Order: sequence, then C-alpha cells, then structure tokens
Amino acid sequence: MPPTPDSDDFIDYGSLRALVVDDSPGMRNALRLTLSNFGITRIQMVANAAEAIFQIKNRSYDFILCDFNLGEGRDGQQLLEELRHGNLISLESVFMMVTAESHYEKVVATAELAPDDYMIKPFSAELLCSRLTGILLRKRAFRDVYWNFQEQDLNAAIAACDTLILGKPKYAVDAMRFKGELLVALGRFEDAENLYRQVVSMRAIPWARLGLARSLHLQKKHDAAEEELRDVLEQAPEMVVAYDLLSDVHLEKKDTVAAQEALEKGVAISGKTVRRQQKLGEIAYGNGDLDAASAAFDNVLEKGRHSIFVTPADFGNLCRVQLEQGDLEAVADTLKKNKSTLQANPEGQLVMAVTQSMVHTRTGNQQAAVKALDMAASLRAGGARGDAQLMLDLAGACMTNGRNEEADAVVAEVARNAHDSEALLAKAKRLYDEAGRADVGTGVLATATGDVRKLNNEGVVLAQRGDYKTAVEKLLTACDEAPYNPRILMNAVWVMLKYLDQVGMDETMLETARTRLREAERQAPGHPRLGGLRLQMKDVENRFGIQRKAAG
Amino acid sequence: MTFDGTDFYAALIHELKNDLGVLSMALGGIPLRGEAAHDAAVDSARLLCQGMVDRLHQALLIYKADHQPIHPVLDACSPHDLVQAIAASAHALARDRLHVETAIAADTPVLWFFDRELVEMALVNAIHNALAHARSSIRIEAGMDAGCLALRVRDDSPGYPESLLESVADGRPYAATGTGLGLRFARLIAHSHDNRGRRGELRLGNDPGAVFSLLLP
Repeated sequence: MPPTPDSDDFIDYGSLRALVVDDSPGMRNALRLTLSNFGITRIQMVANAAEAIFQIKNRSYDFILCDFNLGEGRDGQQLLEELRHGNLISLESVFMMVTAESHYEKVVATAELAPDDYMIKPFSAELLCSRLTGILLRKRAFRDVYWNFQEQDLNAAIAACDTLILGKPKYAVDAMRFKGELLVALGRFEDAENLYRQVVSMRAIPWARLGLARSLHLQKKHDAAEEELRDVLEQAPEMVVAYDLLSDVHLEKKDTVAAQEALEKGVAISGKTVRRQQKLGEIAYGNGDLDAASAAFDNVLEKGRHSIFVTPADFGNLCRVQLEQGDLEAVADTLKKNKSTLQANPEGQLVMAVTQSMVHTRTGNQQAAVKALDMAASLRAGGARGDAQLMLDLAGACMTNGRNEEADAVVAEVARNAHDSEALLAKAKRLYDEAGRADVGTGVLATATGDVRKLNNEGVVLAQRGDYKTAVEKLLTACDEAPYNPRILMNAVWVMLKYLDQVGMDETMLETARTRLREAERQAPGHPRLGGLRLQMKDVENRFGIQRKAAG
Repeated sequence: MTFDGTDFYAALIHELKNDLGVLSMALGGIPLRGEAAHDAAVDSARLLCQGMVDRLHQALLIYKADHQPIHPVLDACSPHDLVQAIAASAHALARDRLHVETAIAADTPVLWFFDRELVEMALVNAIHNALAHARSSIRIEAGMDAGCLALRVRDDSPGYPESLLESVADGRPYAATGTGLGLRFARLIAHSHDNRGRRGELRLGNDPGAVFSLLLP
C-alpha cells in the first residue's frame, strides 16, 4: 500500500527543492527528467562547483545531486568538502554523488566527508527514488539529533541518539555511529570506546573499529590503537582514514619514520586528499626525506589546485624543500607558475618575498636579497603573517644579510605564539647557532617565551584562587602579546567563562571569549580541549538566556 | 603504477562501460509510441544495453578479484530497503513486460550486516537472468535461513539447466561467458561475506522456476 500524505513514511516530492550539478548539458537534462519522474519539479541546474556554491549560498536545497567528475575546476568531492567545511549545507539536506565507478565509496569512507549516498551511472528513476526516500526518512528520524547538534547542545543530541537507539531499531546502528562522534567531540573518550566495543561485538564493521582505535588513541592507549588499526586494515585495506590515524599514533609514539610509511600507504590508495599530502610532506621533511617531501608538496599544489584547503604556506613549503635540494631552477619554476595565485593576497606575497630573499641569499645576489627582505618587512608592517616555518625562514634570511634586529623581532613573535612548542623553539635555536649568535638566541627565546609563560601562569594561579577579574586581565594581556597561541587562547577563554559563571554576565566579555575561541579553533583544529570549552560556553549562554545565533 | 597490458584492458572496459551507461540512459529517454514494432525494438535495445553495462561492471570487479580478494565494506543495512531497491530496479528494467513482486518474511531482521553495493550487483545480475527467461513474473524475497539472511530472486521460467546446477553443487567453475560469468561473480560476492569464520553462499535451484539464493551470514 503506498504511503498516504498523513503517514510517517510519506515524502512530498513536489515540495522538495533540488540542485543538479553536472558539467554535461545532456546529463543535466537526463537527470532533470529522472527527478521529474517521481515528482520533483523545483529543480535548479548548474554546470560546476562555483555555480553550485553560488546557488547554495542564495537559498537552501533539500537535495543536491552532484556528478563526481565536473571537468575543469573542483570535482564533486571537493565541492562536498567545501560545503561541509563552510557549513553551507545543513545535516537535513541530502547530498548524493553520482559516479561512474563503485570504487569511489571505499576510498572516501570518512563519515564527515562522505556524501549521504552515491549512485553509480547509469541508474533508473526508480532506484534513485527508492534510495532518496530511504535517506529522507532516516533524516526525518534524526531530526532532534540534528537540531540539537546544530544548536551545539551536544548532550541533548546524545540524548536524542539514545531515544533512537532504544526506540527505532532500524536506525539504531546509525544513531550509535553519530553518538560515538558526539562523545569524542565532548572529550568522553572512554564512553566512546565502550560504545564502539558494543557495535564491534555485534559485528566488526570497519567504521566501528576505526572509531574504537580513535578513542583508544585519544586516551593515549597507543599500542592498543595500533593493534586495532592493523587489524582493520587487514579486513578493509582500502580504508584510507585508517592509515591517517595509524600515522597519528606513530607520531605520538615519536616514530616519525613509521608515521611517514603509514601516510605513504594511504596516499598510494588515495592521493587526492590535500590534507593527507600536506601531512605527508611535513613529516617527510621532518625526517629529512627531501624527495618524498617535495613530491608530496608538489602533489598538494597539483591535486589541490581548486581546493580551499591549499594556503600560501603550501607554496612556501614546496619552495623550501626545493631550495634545500639545491634545485634553484625548480624554485623559480614554482614561483613563476603560481605567480598570479601568490600575488592575489598579502600572505602569498609574503611567501614570494621570503622565498626570493632565500634564493638570492643562496646565489649571493645580496642586492636582490635585500630588496626582497624590504618587501617582506613592508608586508609584515601591513599586517601580513606567515606560518611559523616561513617566519623562521625570514628570520634566517635576515640574519644572513646582517639584519639581526629584524630577525630577533620575527623570532620573538614566533616564540610568543608557540611558547610551548619544543620543535619550533629548537628550530629557532638552530638558526642562531648557525649564525654564530647562540647567546643572543637564548636570550631572545627566553624573553619571548618567559613573558608569555609568566602572564599565563599568573592568570591561571589567580583563577584557581578565585580572583577571576585579575586573571582575565592577565590572560587577555597574554593574548595581545601572543594572539595566535592556542594554549594562551584556550586558557583565556577558560578564565573568561569562569568569570562569567562566578561573577555574572558581561556581554562584551562573552563576545571576546567567542572571538578568542574561534581563533583557537583556527590555530589548533581538533584540539581535545576545544570540545569542553565549547560546552562550557554553551552552558554560560544557556544560563543567561542567550540564544546562539543560528550558524551561518 | 604500471600500465601493462591487463591494466590497459581494465581501463578500456571501464571507459566502454561508462559510454554504454550514457547510451543506456539515452535509450531510456526515447518515448514509446504505442506501436509494437517501434516500442519492442527500443525496449530490447534498452535492456540489452543495460545488461552490457552491468556485465562490464562485473567484469571489472572480477578482474580486480583476480589480483586481490574482494573486500566487502560491511555496514548495517536494511534488508527491507534492499528488496525495495532491487524491485525498483527490476521494475525499471522490466517496464510492463513482466510482473515484479516482493515478499519479505516475518522473520527478516530490521538490520543485517553486508556490503549493500556488492549484494545489489549480485541480485541485479539475477534479475537480468530472470528477465531473459521468466514467462510472466519475478519475485524478490527476503527471509532467514539457518542463521543467514537469505535474499532470493525467483521466476516462473523452466528453471536452470541441470548441468549448471551440478557445476554449482560441485563448486566447479562455470563457463566464463553469459550466465556463467554472472554466477561466478555472485558466488565471489557471497563468499567474500564472512562472519566469524562462516562464509556466505550462493545456492541455485529449481522450484519449479529458477531460484537464485544469496545467503549472508
């Protein structure tokens, strides 16, 4: 019996708004015909990712049907990543990928970046309708979960998952999957571990074992995590995300060679993911494997040509490795090929200036080197900032060209913003050693980190004593000194939330706390402390009856 | 990655499959005129084309399975939804030529663990066979059988030839062409599903029409 309008299973296709993304006009028309076959009539059609994003920013779509292969420009997966990353589509919208091969799904098996479903070409209207109905009904069942999640009320979202687990057997396993991710986001790693064990005891399905390995890793049970991952990979060797996690586990165990090997295996299966290539490049560079590093950084730029995850730092990374390989021609080539991209913003211009200063220093063309350094200085004065590694490159070039004061200021800035990063401080120290200024370096680093450390420690101690007002002052001063230091930012947010909780509401301070928390999220995405801080922020907002503005 | 002869053939088959896919969609878009001569010709072209796409798809998977075992990506799936999806595909293929029905036994679990994509491909294969031989109807069934999820495609054809049933019972390889290729593929998929040492099975039988059963542990 077909479902009637008032039944739980009824989907009113006539009310759905659909977006079809396909670069072939013939295919677009075929898909429109397919959709209209089961009643979807409000259909917008676009040819590429840029047009899709424009449409989606203008109005929301209930259903996006997107071809993986979109010709020149971003592919379907990159579009999906951009939509999810920029919060441009809500969890209620359905995103389906159309592909020509069944291999696709197995490579992109991370929940966060996976589409809701994928269709293998060619497919019938009947099959598409049957799949779409299934997804829409599932999303309907998850309505409370999604709503609470989007309101950042993760505890309520967990409670909604529990309701599904107990009351809707069909969605119980899906609800457990979502709940596992919520537990991890809240830092409840042990609870997550137990949940994943429960799923695995039903059946050892790959995502549950991966979740188990992740929650073990987050509890610093690295050997157990590694063992689980090796098992997962034996069962599902194409699960690339397992290699990513395995690499993280090796890094925690300080085995950087094994970390590189794990990522290389992942890249061999799927080399398109920019983040994976970036990480491989960084680790290989740290291992002194310049060939692997330059190949990876090269891939970042090549595969990520249309990806939003490529930043000016990636150009700097490739040039640095090419320079260390002594391949000046390759550096010149990289800069030339990417000139227009780099010229487009001050950060890119800074990368160019710093790289050129290093090249000219290397070839002994001091005049040109000085000119590049002047350029870098004026960009910095205008507020341009590079990643820590680039800034240390700049400091190095300054020292070689006798601009010691400028070098010290740059190093001090890096050190303030990374006062607890042993690796970066060691790199900075090496610069001074090589320049024969070891004593000066020790002084610069000690002063820079000392100031920040002192403000931070005083703030934390004051807060522990209950003097929140002075604690906030100290930590906000520390934030001014080190505006990109994740540890300082997170401590400042923590103290401000304490203040609001204990002393009372202060709109300005709450806004400051929000801004600082956003910066901390930018500087240290995925840091385990962030989940807890977000939750405390939510509690404070709830207590003072502030409704968080809807995201986006 | 090397690009030796076999890889070249795999890439070629892949491209042919995609081209045929586009052709199949184009054929599907040709409106029927209500004239038997025209409509029957278009319909058989459409079916043949779709059958070729599915077969090339299988050929690629079998080629891959020659080099490394098929690793199903298990997840919790709804057998009910699967039966509906297969019925939808069967209906699209059969149009009005055959009657498609479904039967879901009361003991069918709400969720079962299998690779939906692979299992769908095996069943669609059986649908193609049934379409070629059934007289008037196809039935898609789900139920439990000795602790396994049983997915069946049943038709009212005269049944599988004896020689084929014997070779399945003996585990001998079937002919690598036509029906044999598809069955070999379905058996690979069934076997790749493993639950604590228990493997899936493909069973063929006549009752009195052909019965294709996939048993998933």
